[in-house]
Amino acid sequence: MTAADPFEAIKGVFFQECEELLGDLESGLLAMETGAADDETVNAVFRAVHSVKGGAGAFGLDDLVRFAHVFETLLDEIRSGRKPCDDVTVKTLLRAADVLADHVAAARGQGAPVDPARSAGLVAELETLTHGDAPVAAPVVQAPEPEADEFGFQPVVFDMAAFEPAPAAVEAEAEVGRWRVVFHPHSQMYAKANETGLLLRELSRLGPVAVTLDQSALPDLAELEPEVSCLSWAIEVETSAGETAVREVFDFVEADCDLSVRPAQDAATVTEAAPAEPELDIAALLARAGVEAAAPEPVLAPAPVPATPELAAPAPFAAQPAAPATPTPVTIRVDLERVDRLINVVGELVIQQAMLAQRVSESGLIRSSGVTAGLEDLELLTREIQDSVMAIRAQPVKSVFQRMPRLVREVADMTGKKVRLITEGEATEVDKTVVERLAEPITHMIRNAIDHGLETPDDRLAVGKPAEGVVRMVALHRSGRIVIEISDDGRGINRSRVRGIAEERGLIAADAALTDDEVDNLIFLPGFSTADAVSDISGRGVGMDVVRRSIQSLGGRISISSTPGKGSIFTLSLPLTLAVLDGMVVTAADQTLVTPLTAIVESLTPRTEDVHHVGGHDPVIRFREQFVPLIDIGVAMGFRDAPLTPGTGVAMVVETESGARAALLVDAIQGQRQVVIKSLETNYRHVEGVAAATILGDGRVALILDVDGIIANARRKSARPDFKLAS
Amino acid sequence: MSDTSANAPARELIAFRIGDQEFCVDIMSVREIRGWTPATPLPRAPGFVKGVINLRGAVLPIIDLGARLGLTTSEPTARHVIMVASIGGRSVGLLVDAVSDIIQLTDEAVQATPEVASEQVRAFVKGIFAIEGRMVSLLELEWLVPDTEAEAA
Repeated sequence: MTAADPFEAIKGVFFQECEELLGDLESGLLAMETGAADDETVNAVFRAVHSVKGGAGAFGLDDLVRFAHVFETLLDEIRSGRKPCDDVTVKTLLRAADVLADHVAAARGQGAPVDPARSAGLVAELETLTHGDAPVAAPVVQAPEPEADEFGFQPVVFDMAAFEPAPAAVEAEAEVGRWRVVFHPHSQMYAKANETGLLLRELSRLGPVAVTLDQSALPDLAELEPEVSCLSWAIEVETSAGETAVREVFDFVEADCDLSVRPAQDAATVTEAAPAEPELDIAALLARAGVEAAAPEPVLAPAPVPATPELAAPAPFAAQPAAPATPTPVTIRVDLERVDRLINVVGELVIQQAMLAQRVSESGLIRSSGVTAGLEDLELLTREIQDSVMAIRAQPVKSVFQRMPRLVREVADMTGKKVRLITEGEATEVDKTVVERLAEPITHMIRNAIDHGLETPDDRLAVGKPAEGVVRMVALHRSGRIVIEISDDGRGINRSRVRGIAEERGLIAADAALTDDEVDNLIFLPGFSTADAVSDISGRGVGMDVVRRSIQSLGGRISISSTPGKGSIFTLSLPLTLAVLDGMVVTAADQTLVTPLTAIVESLTPRTEDVHHVGGHDPVIRFREQFVPLIDIGVAMGFRDAPLTPGTGVAMVVETESGARAALLVDAIQGQRQVVIKSLETNYRHVEGVAAATILGDGRVALILDVDGIIANARRKSARPDFKLAS
Repeated sequence: MSDTSANAPARELIAFRIGDQEFCVDIMSVREIRGWTPATPLPRAPGFVKGVINLRGAVLPIIDLGARLGLTTSEPTARHVIMVASIGGRSVGLLVDAVSDIIQLTDEAVQATPEVASEQVRAFVKGIFAIEGRMVSLLELEWLVPDTEAEAA
């Protein structure tokens, strides 16, 4: 208690684990709902809740423990087969998972405390389901809550109790199988206070076992390292419970041991082929003791300590084709701050490398010299380091995708539509921040797709489509960006209505000539909403303009293509990272500036006759039947007083996040480049019209233009033409 | 080089020239001294902010100290010097004509700023002292950064 810091740190890890567990819980439950679940899924769901409970107990989070306990009790009934898992039950379980997540969030200090009534209501529901039509089911023995010790949430003890009823329940059915288990614990397993004896005893509950001790790896006493594990066991178990049940015994030690479970017939040859077992009498003794007493601990006594050296261990094991249990990827948890520091340093390395390359080329070294070749290698390596470092921050979009099935069900229920969600490319990776900030826009788009895109089942049948609509969500990498497509097979965009609304709201002129694409894109304009009646689902005063803004704030683009009667496809394209930016390097008044590529619609060379002046000043330029303000960047940034003479320079037509367009006049465009974003605020302060800075290959700082800021500023200035900014 | 009386705890100051005047700051606040490199000008910055330069990947604002003190505005050349100082957690480059000396000094040797100096100078000068017949002004760096002060202007 006094050692607050390590305790808090462990608690932090617990909450991180909770996030993962809740994710597993949800996806498991969803699989159960669609009927794609097997026994292992149900077990995984149970384990997730159980682990949350175990950890919560260690930290004295009583509300969480109480709720998780009731939840877990029902799940235990289901997984043991005493309680059927029907549709109603799964729906309740899904809602319970929601409340559990709320409890976790509340315990973490995020979000409001859980509404006690809601929680209690669900507890009652869960209890009814548990006891209701299964009166015989004895309440599951609740595990003693783990002590708040260093290993706080190792919920090992409970599992023993939970497995007890299992053999009884399944004994009658299914034929008896023989399984050969080869188990070699690592030292860490003992360090976490697990014991082989207990595991073997647990295994013996599944059916008669024959245990063989393999102590061939045991070194001489003189070389014995008391805390290193080198004993292993081969166990043959006869059980009707199946492989899953056998594996489950080792569930909590899986990461800390080599485990193989195979049908005994297969393994028979292996046994013969492994004459490495020298102490046959001991093995026999062990086997007998294992069967009789189901408590091999006393037998273990002859061995000096249960944990012994590992030095020679690989040898006998190499002889056995024992496949490693499940190849779980090894992961570590690292502070995000450390990763970001690394990313910063690598960013500097990239710049430094570019500078060095430029200096060398300026110094006039011949191309074939060793220096140039070395520099090229250095560049390749630097890029590789940069990519690898960026990959550390990358996360699969799965965390966002897996929230959507629930949303789809809820919206489908509310609208009375039938919807099937298909997701693809969940493993596609993108920067963590991007993943986090994608959830909201995607949620909104899925809602829209169901609410506005899909027809009601009757309407669908009437036009010859299946009653069930399909919403498809696909993530993929395309040319250095992540692309997310959300499509539906609904009615598509009703162009005449969209147009009507846009005219009505004064968003476009009544006689504007617009292509189909342009009409479709009107839905991104601020304040546009196509729902006939403001519905509960998507009519919340926010429209696609908000979606577009949040995508653009991530440096992304959104577009729509729609076919009447066939459906619509929304395409999001986002950068893989926020640390670098695709920019257009331009020159204005001798200054090198970078314009974010995402803002640029198109660039053009204005002719003198294209430029007009509204009211004598305020130049505008004609761009595709539309007049947009022409802003001289050199003047706007205060680098020169007089604008470029008409007919010179290049204009970039840019679009702000709010959809406003303007043309930025610069002297010349140098080219497209990926730049590392550097903050001006760190050592200085925010500068109007400047989003950030970057460092170019020549080592100079270049400013990244804040397109929105510049346009807003120009608008303010032209509104008050006599107002001069002090410079 | 200058020595002061032995017993009092001496602190080290770094002295530099702007025009014909000599100033000094606490050596602990100076991170490094480097030659002038062309700065990228910032839009609508106060006149004493020369722009920003790249200091090993960090964006460093450059303040023309002479202009900041209301003395001279110099067009920087390769002979000018940038003192990289840490002021209130930020790194700032101070453009001066030349670094002249490292001085060890006790607090007693510093006199209050005479009433004759201009308001602007008195805002930054903590005190003055004489050394080998020269007059050196001790600067207070905290007020130099164009933060809220400049934003209000």
